[in-house]
Amino acid sequence: MKDYLLHFPKEWQFDVGDTIDLWIKTFSRENREILTAIRNFVIASIKGINWLLAIIPWWLLIIIVMILGWRISGRKRVGLLYGAMLIFVGSCGLWVHMLETLSIVIASVILSVILGFPLGVLIAMNKRAESIIRPILDLMQTMPTFVYLVPAVMLFSTGKTPALMATTIYAIVPMIRMTSHGIIHVNGEVVEAAKAFGSTNLQTLVKVQIPQAMPTIMTGLNQTIMMAMSMVVTCALIGAQGLGMEILLATNRTEMGKALMPGICIVIVAIILDRLTQGLVKRKEAEQQ
Amino acid sequence: MKRSIVLMLALAFCITTVLGGCSGNEKAEIKTITVTNNGWDSQMLHNEIAKFIVLNGYENYDFQTSTGSSTMNWQAMIAGDVDLDIESWTDNVATYPEDVANGDIVDVGVLVPDSAQGLYVPRYVIEGDPERGIEPMAPDLKTVEDLKKYPHIFPDDEEPEKGRLYGSLPGWMADEILYKKYEYYGLNESYNYVRLGSEAALFASLASAYNLGDPWVGYCYEPTWITGKLDLVLLEDAPYDPDLYLEGKCEFPKQELKIVSSSKFAEKAPDLLEFFKKYKTGSQLISEALAYLDETGATHEEAAKWFLKEYDYLLDEWLPAERAEKVREALN
Amino acid sequence: MKDEVIIKVENVTKLYGINKSEAIKLMKEGADKDTVYKKTGVTVALWDVSFEVKKGEVFVIIGLSGSGKSTIIRCLNKLNRPTSGKIYFQNNDIDQLSKKELLDLRRNKISMVFQNFGLMSHRTVMENVAYGLEVKKVSKEEREKKAKEMISLVGLEGWEHQPISSLSGGMKQRVGLARALANDPEVLLMDEPFSALDPLVKRDMQFELLSIQRKLQKTVVFITHDINEAFKLGDTVAIMRDGRIIQIDTPQDMALNPADEYVAKFIDGADKSKVLSAKHVMITPRCMVREKDAPIHVIEELSRNDVSTAYVVDDSMKLLGVISIDNAIRARKENIPISDFIDRDIYTIRRDTLIVDMLQLTAKSKYPIAVVDEKNRLKGIVSKSAVLSSL
Repeated sequence: MKDYLLHFPKEWQFDVGDTIDLWIKTFSRENREILTAIRNFVIASIKGINWLLAIIPWWLLIIIVMILGWRISGRKRVGLLYGAMLIFVGSCGLWVHMLETLSIVIASVILSVILGFPLGVLIAMNKRAESIIRPILDLMQTMPTFVYLVPAVMLFSTGKTPALMATTIYAIVPMIRMTSHGIIHVNGEVVEAAKAFGSTNLQTLVKVQIPQAMPTIMTGLNQTIMMAMSMVVTCALIGAQGLGMEILLATNRTEMGKALMPGICIVIVAIILDRLTQGLVKRKEAEQQ
Repeated sequence: MKRSIVLMLALAFCITTVLGGCSGNEKAEIKTITVTNNGWDSQMLHNEIAKFIVLNGYENYDFQTSTGSSTMNWQAMIAGDVDLDIESWTDNVATYPEDVANGDIVDVGVLVPDSAQGLYVPRYVIEGDPERGIEPMAPDLKTVEDLKKYPHIFPDDEEPEKGRLYGSLPGWMADEILYKKYEYYGLNESYNYVRLGSEAALFASLASAYNLGDPWVGYCYEPTWITGKLDLVLLEDAPYDPDLYLEGKCEFPKQELKIVSSSKFAEKAPDLLEFFKKYKTGSQLISEALAYLDETGATHEEAAKWFLKEYDYLLDEWLPAERAEKVREALN
Repeated sequence: MKDEVIIKVENVTKLYGINKSEAIKLMKEGADKDTVYKKTGVTVALWDVSFEVKKGEVFVIIGLSGSGKSTIIRCLNKLNRPTSGKIYFQNNDIDQLSKKELLDLRRNKISMVFQNFGLMSHRTVMENVAYGLEVKKVSKEEREKKAKEMISLVGLEGWEHQPISSLSGGMKQRVGLARALANDPEVLLMDEPFSALDPLVKRDMQFELLSIQRKLQKTVVFITHDINEAFKLGDTVAIMRDGRIIQIDTPQDMALNPADEYVAKFIDGADKSKVLSAKHVMITPRCMVREKDAPIHVIEELSRNDVSTAYVVDDSMKLLGVISIDNAIRARKENIPISDFIDRDIYTIRRDTLIVDMLQLTAKSKYPIAVVDEKNRLKGIVSKSAVLSSL
């Protein structure tokens, strides 16, 4: 009697954890060819990006970022500041780690765009797809990352592949949301105009809705990049090399100072990526005002 | 209608407060003992066993855990916010000798005297597993040095021409030693040394390989649920030599998992201190309990009770007779 | 040719909501829109709307917001689909059109101008104007040529490559108009095109539209909530209220004979001087004399009618001028023909001169103004008081 009033009845509790464990184990056994193929593909693409980043000499990369910063913000000072920040990363001895981190971030951003953009369009165009996908997005955004980290390792082994998967699951959401939000909120009259002049649905989408939604979509891209950056340390937990791993190494040794450097470098990379993409958003917006 | 709802609520409130209230305020001064929970199974189990004993064999204590990472909890213990770390892997705490020397941390006892660690492979890698249809992959693999012959058995998907060797956790002493070992035996030529950031990921990669019947070689330690549950083989190494050990040139010593406390604990709970000085299990024992936990899906609390019943004689080793009796009563 | 019907709307009803049959039942029982909404949750946007648009005319639909005017205009190019009823474009039921035929209709026959311009801000002026041609895959060269032509027609030469954001409201609507004309459509749907513009710009645009319409002879369906605009532009005006059409008429007939109180009130807000013309207020002159008449006869005529001036015409009723009673008496005394005493310097107007245009004349003129036809024959007169009372 007392127990029922004060505690949730034990008889009502159930446990599906084991079933899911078993399911994941069986699934990974039965689909190993597919999973291996995915893994190999992901590894190849990330390595490709890393190779590309590594082939660019450090000074050229800095110069490119400086020029981009200058052109996009319209101020020389900003370009110089970005250059100085990157030189700081190099002098912390973290250049290579930064490239490793960047290649995972870039790969997951690309994957997020490739998957997220069409999904966003689909949600915007199709009510039913929306009612299915939206709750999944909520789930992806609120589910603590650690919950799917271990299944990701079970399915895709350790290292870059599960890191990419986990990052993409987390970072794709704003891409999808902002794409659909942008398209849905294109001025109704403009869409009507497109239709009234005899555009097919595809023409309306490609010639009007998507270009009109571009500033919003770019904002989504910006958020996706930021969220991918925020997963860097989490990815280190499943063996992704890079700045996150440096932080983990240092914090596990209680070396606060040593953890700070890669931490600052992450912030630097994030700031530069953020400002560059936001600059693009602002330019798009200005064009369309 | 409205009135009856109000009545119901009032009644429910009265019952819960009366029932809930009757257990309080009888004992004099209750001290709360806080122990670390750094998130791994053996420690959680050891905590639960200790908790059962402290709550049932003693009168004046409450027991709680502080969940966090080992480093954070270590700092909290130095500060005196946490009383005890019941299963401390002191070899992996870089500042341990210094902290003990300064008196910030007090050695209380040895919990597990014979913890092994090193490079493990699943047994089927060496011997095969007819039941699962797995052929032996490296029948002559016995020692760490033998790994040199088999990099192709353990391919790294990110660089298939090399093998992959899973290191220890970043920041652990064992990891640094293992890395030296990896270089010392020349494994660096044919293997990549892959560090996963967390124990969960390390074990997941092992469990995943085991599930698929794939080869796997990497760092592991005992006692854990995974060493209790999976059939693993510890690769042999040169006999332990205290001078060579840190260079990675010989096997890891049997490690002692210690019970350590904050400097204030002795004063706070002298009678408990006596218990914790004697509290001792063993690698084999606790691995079995962990395997029980994993197989039956029991909670750590249930596994702790199972353990105390199964190894009843331990109570007499750990506790004065009358306290041991009290615990036995509570168990049954 | 003028009377050929190009768009025919028959009993079109448009309902928004789920429980439509219940709503239809209530509407048939004579319930009003609000009651139906409260009882069934169905919004009645259009109810039994019928009208015809003739080729080459400007057909204005006027109503307050929520009257259904924007809904009906969108039915004409099937941006909205009626719940029931038929719409014929050149005798083809547009609901029966295949997808391709519908695109064809929108690409070649009907184009639209929007209240807030509906321009694509990511495109330049030229790219906007050429949009309709682009979707029907006209070659780039050709569509730019056509677009250029249209841009100059609406007076925006030199702005071809500017972004939309750099234009003022009036210029934006010129782009909207050029875009609609670029397809060379037969019908132009204009959904409150000038409502968002300030009054001066609006007047310019109305003028621009009228001159373009006269030049290109397009059929225009024009939506507005401004009665003055409706009367100024419309050959035919339909007035809508709560989803129904209350009256369809020429502006003049509507101004003179409002179908009900609602229309009368609506028109009250209109500047009738711009709608009504001389023919609506003129009267037959009570006293008319011929040039050859003897002065004595003129005097008799004047005194019989109890007036002080008479209009003088020749044998073929051509107006010569006015003679006053004083001059007639002088002519008799001096025995001179009245032709020497006629005041020939008088104002004349035509039957269709708008009242607004004769206001100044009535102020200046000593006599009621004579209304004459193209051969200067006297048709009637408009007195100062008639003009004033018509307002």
